[in-house]
Amino acid sequence: MTRVNLTVNGRAREIDVETSKLLVHAIREDLGLTGTHVGCLTGDCGACTVRVDGATVKSCSVLAVGAEGADLTTIEGLAGEDGLHPVQRAFWDEFGFQCGYCLPGMLLTACELLEDDPDPDDDAIVEAINGNLCRCTGYAAIVRSIRCAADRMKDTP
Amino acid sequence: MTAIGTSVRKADGEVLLTGRGRFVDDYVLPGMMHAAIVRSDVAHARITGIDTSEAERAPGVELVLTGERAARHSGPIPHFIDPAARGGRRAEVRCLAVDKVVHAGQAVAAVVARTRREAEAAAGLVRVGYERLPHVLDADAALRPDAPRLYDDWPDNVILHNHYGTGDVDAALETADLVVTETIRIGRSTTAPMEPRGYLASWDRFDESLTVHGSVQNPHQLRWMLARSLGLDETRIRVVTARVGGSFGLKMQGHPEETLICLLSRLTGAPVKWIEDRRECFLSGAREQVHRVTVGAMRDGRIVAVRDRIVANAGAVTAQPGWAMPNMSATTLASGYLVPNVEAELHVVATNKPPLNAARGFGKDGAHFVMERVVDLVARGLGADPARVRRVNFVPPDRFPFRTATGLNIDSGDFPGLLDKALKALDYDALRDRQRELRSLGRHLGIGLAFELTPESADGPGTFVSGFDVTTVRMNMSGGVTVLTGVTSPGGGNDTAIAQIVCDELGVPLSWIQVVQGDTDRCPSGFGNFSGRGMVVGGGSAALAARDVRAKIATVGARMLGVSPDEVEVTGGVVRVSGEPDRSVPVPDVAAAVLTRAFAVASEVEPVLEATRAFKPGNINHVPDERGRIQPYPTYSNCLHAAVVEVDADTGLTELVDFVMAHDCGVVINPALVEGQAHGAIVMGLGAALTEELVYDDEGRLLSDRFKSYLLPRAGDLPKVRLEHQVTPSPFTMYGNKGAGEAGVGGAQAAVANAIEDALAPFGVTVTQVPLPAPVVLDLIERARSK
Amino acid sequence: MITQNFAYHAPTDLEGVVAALAGHDAVIVGGGTMVVPDLTHGRTSADVVVDLSRAGLSGITRAGDTVVVGATTTYTRLLRDGGEQVPPLRRIAGGITGGPQIRNRGTVGGSACYANPSSEVPAVLVALGAELRLVSAAGVREVAAADFFTGAFTTARRPDEVLAALVLPGPAGPFGYHKLKLAESSWPIATAACVRLPGGGLRLALGGVAATPLPVHLESDDPGHVRAEVGRVLTEPWSDVLADGDYRRRVAPVAALRAVRELRATEESRGIREPRSAQEGEPR
Repeated sequence: MTRVNLTVNGRAREIDVETSKLLVHAIREDLGLTGTHVGCLTGDCGACTVRVDGATVKSCSVLAVGAEGADLTTIEGLAGEDGLHPVQRAFWDEFGFQCGYCLPGMLLTACELLEDDPDPDDDAIVEAINGNLCRCTGYAAIVRSIRCAADRMKDTP
Repeated sequence: MTAIGTSVRKADGEVLLTGRGRFVDDYVLPGMMHAAIVRSDVAHARITGIDTSEAERAPGVELVLTGERAARHSGPIPHFIDPAARGGRRAEVRCLAVDKVVHAGQAVAAVVARTRREAEAAAGLVRVGYERLPHVLDADAALRPDAPRLYDDWPDNVILHNHYGTGDVDAALETADLVVTETIRIGRSTTAPMEPRGYLASWDRFDESLTVHGSVQNPHQLRWMLARSLGLDETRIRVVTARVGGSFGLKMQGHPEETLICLLSRLTGAPVKWIEDRRECFLSGAREQVHRVTVGAMRDGRIVAVRDRIVANAGAVTAQPGWAMPNMSATTLASGYLVPNVEAELHVVATNKPPLNAARGFGKDGAHFVMERVVDLVARGLGADPARVRRVNFVPPDRFPFRTATGLNIDSGDFPGLLDKALKALDYDALRDRQRELRSLGRHLGIGLAFELTPESADGPGTFVSGFDVTTVRMNMSGGVTVLTGVTSPGGGNDTAIAQIVCDELGVPLSWIQVVQGDTDRCPSGFGNFSGRGMVVGGGSAALAARDVRAKIATVGARMLGVSPDEVEVTGGVVRVSGEPDRSVPVPDVAAAVLTRAFAVASEVEPVLEATRAFKPGNINHVPDERGRIQPYPTYSNCLHAAVVEVDADTGLTELVDFVMAHDCGVVINPALVEGQAHGAIVMGLGAALTEELVYDDEGRLLSDRFKSYLLPRAGDLPKVRLEHQVTPSPFTMYGNKGAGEAGVGGAQAAVANAIEDALAPFGVTVTQVPLPAPVVLDLIERARSK
Repeated sequence: MITQNFAYHAPTDLEGVVAALAGHDAVIVGGGTMVVPDLTHGRTSADVVVDLSRAGLSGITRAGDTVVVGATTTYTRLLRDGGEQVPPLRRIAGGITGGPQIRNRGTVGGSACYANPSSEVPAVLVALGAELRLVSAAGVREVAAADFFTGAFTTARRPDEVLAALVLPGPAGPFGYHKLKLAESSWPIATAACVRLPGGGLRLALGGVAATPLPVHLESDDPGHVRAEVGRVLTEPWSDVLADGDYRRRVAPVAALRAVRELRATEESRGIREPRSAQEGEPR
């Protein structure tokens, strides 16, 4: 077992993992954060997306031991004391999900996009979610949700 | 009525958005163990021996189970739809292969260990000896008399052989001005929900009961099936549907792992979890058919006859209902057209490919793809506009109910209305001008239309395909309402829409209502989700139950207000005197009165604030008519797809430029939910039209086993899909609503195929298959060029 | 799931990496986007894993008339910082399959070492005339990209060596590129990258169409010549589940012609070259 120190959604955490453990499994099993999902374990679907030091990554393609010292944000870390993050609210209002399985990837990549580009056009939104598969929505409502979040976040700085 | 017809946000929004949705893999039970499955790497073989010794010695291993031992503790798995009950052949299906494997990927052994990692490692140590048998992967080849046979006690490989349709096709073809014959192939695609299947079974050895958490669509049917295969009393089994991460038919029961994981729990005495991996999930097929079709038409565009010989490749036999889908391909063939003479012959064939599993469209997609190709072939043969040929053949709005030549009794519709809406949205005439302009520049724009008729909310007598469902509405002492329903949601949101119905019918705010689904110990016996039935029968039964509860509330509330029950209304959580908004009593006070003053103010009602009702829609008729046709569907949603593509003739690549779907599913309970379903189904169809195909090597082993080789559409692949709405109420359902959620797959496939053929008209290409990835399209172009 | 534990090293400098590699047949993880899933699915196994992410091998620097791209420079970093120095690499970074999450982790160096025939990076490096800087206890050597890719998933890198950097000739001139893939999810089926050589002619490299990138020397932009040369070098086309060799053989010249046409258009827009005369014809 290897000791790994992390900051997870703002809290310091320590876990002991096998070297063979994937970050996604450490998050789900050792940190108990099951909002991060496993969809393929090949880095294709994006359901396991988390942010490592601010950058979205597919946590099935990262070794847990390699995350030593990292600052992790998972879907559970998005909502604050004031309630849902504006991106979460927009996804709810605009029906940006059905089954919810792809949401970790959709929400976290949307947040990363809007931090880099507060006023993305539809092409930029599509590009940002292109690493995330969704089988329910056909993506239309997801693009609309991110557009809506951008508009609202612009209006309320 | 206020909530019905509005886009109420999904009830599970906050839970899912904050990562608290509990999917089956998120459950952890004390002492839980993990299973991994050893699968055959050959398509057809006798098992000569299984050496489990090394696996049994591996770290953490609790149990290694072989088919032989499994067969001592469990029986055959009953079919979801028994082929024998439909005049077909049944094969015994077991949770692990015994003696023989019939497809690559079939489960032959299972390992239970402390961790998933240990289970997977040990599974790799199980040695299976095979004596290879000749195998057959192609359905036509499997029909030949000398083909290898999958099942020793069958005379051939035919699961079902049947004829459908009425009229005199030969005579009609004789008089037709145009006769076209073509062979059309539908490649094998799959459902691929983002969450694969999974089950967590826990056997309680103290009271000998079994609890199963699973990503499943039909918990009650699964309970029955497990009782049969495990030899348990149904009362000892509880099935709980975890939150389901998409399903699309895949998670209807009949999979061997359902029985297997329960057996593993029973044998180890520990909770056992198994989560399918993505490669395993790709083993399930959704559709694969060949149609040899002949169509006859008159000069004015009227189609007078269709003959179709359908060969469907069902893969190996499973207890899942996938084998029955091609049946609907035949039954739906005439679609929404007047075609008087139709003859379909169907062979559903077993091969050494993995099994077909139920899938969105349930075979209706195959009918639409073929029929819509046929209409375009007629248009082309006559030099007519494909929009006009459709219009000429549509069942007109004043002819409903209309019985099609293949037997379906369409309830209602306005098909020309949909065509008008779609053409207008496209700006069809201007688009044709644009097409000519681009052609002169050497560019290949194509426009494809496709109509789709989606019979929904099926009932199959004697099977688990039930055309009704059951809901309990229960009000507690505080006025809060629990709705327990037999229908389940794979994520689409019918729980939200059912709450909307209860809100309006019972007269309490939405926030007071909780919908509970998918728990056999809590919900009334029902049938889960399939066939777009959630709102037709789940919504209908919830309305009836809510009305019963409302009647009691109104009776007691009226007495509390000192008026007669017909003088009050229940709305927004209060009982008030009609026309006198100031005279009211809160519903919670009435509820408390019913339950605490049963011998006083509430003495006129039976003090049960609960009702359980079933809803059986009209229009279902299983008595064969004079031509042997039955009518298993109450409602017929319909839509008109229009695809615009541009094909790169040098590479065969198709770019989707525009897509419009004009749809009509009757009265809509929650527009945003219906639109979401439509978008999802269309995109699933676009994937199956262009890039999604399960590919096997010559030995029957799956090659397209990840999302880089089985290509689901991504956001960047898609045009902005546009929807147009039309409402033609169903006369046979509670609100005039029709099934929603399935329509999209076959229509999108056909519209894209038609558009590609249209784009490549200068080359004289005939599109005869889906999917149409670039290599296939380039082949079509080169073949047409070399003609 | 990775079923076997391994010794894990994450050295903090290049010397540490070299030391960790000595004497082992280690699996090197750069961004992990390809190697980690391979470990998960048993396509590769490891006793020792050496993680480069802390070894300080990321960054883009100018050295004389070359540009040095550290082996662990991610696609995202290239998108952000590569515009001035290595526009061709920046451009392919923007088109990588898998979305921002893959660009945030995936590296050009890793893609080169993985040597997937269906990857676009190797051929681009060949076209650009890149050198791959390999470091081991025995020293440093630089291998031309054209010599580095020895087969499908195999390279000239020895097990004790680590790819430290890609060395690209600079400044980058106009670059022509075309990528053909079946869908957003798909790996490239055919790519073509080309640059104009100082002595005349073009250096073009085809990717995705054979086990290794195929260098094509072109005397001119003439479409007939381009077709003929591509046909000549593409003797054993790559075949996979998405497209067979026959398809790749047919579209390779199309990709090449489009890359050449794009190069030409760039040159014309920058005033380096006169617009094409009518006789030359328009390649398609």
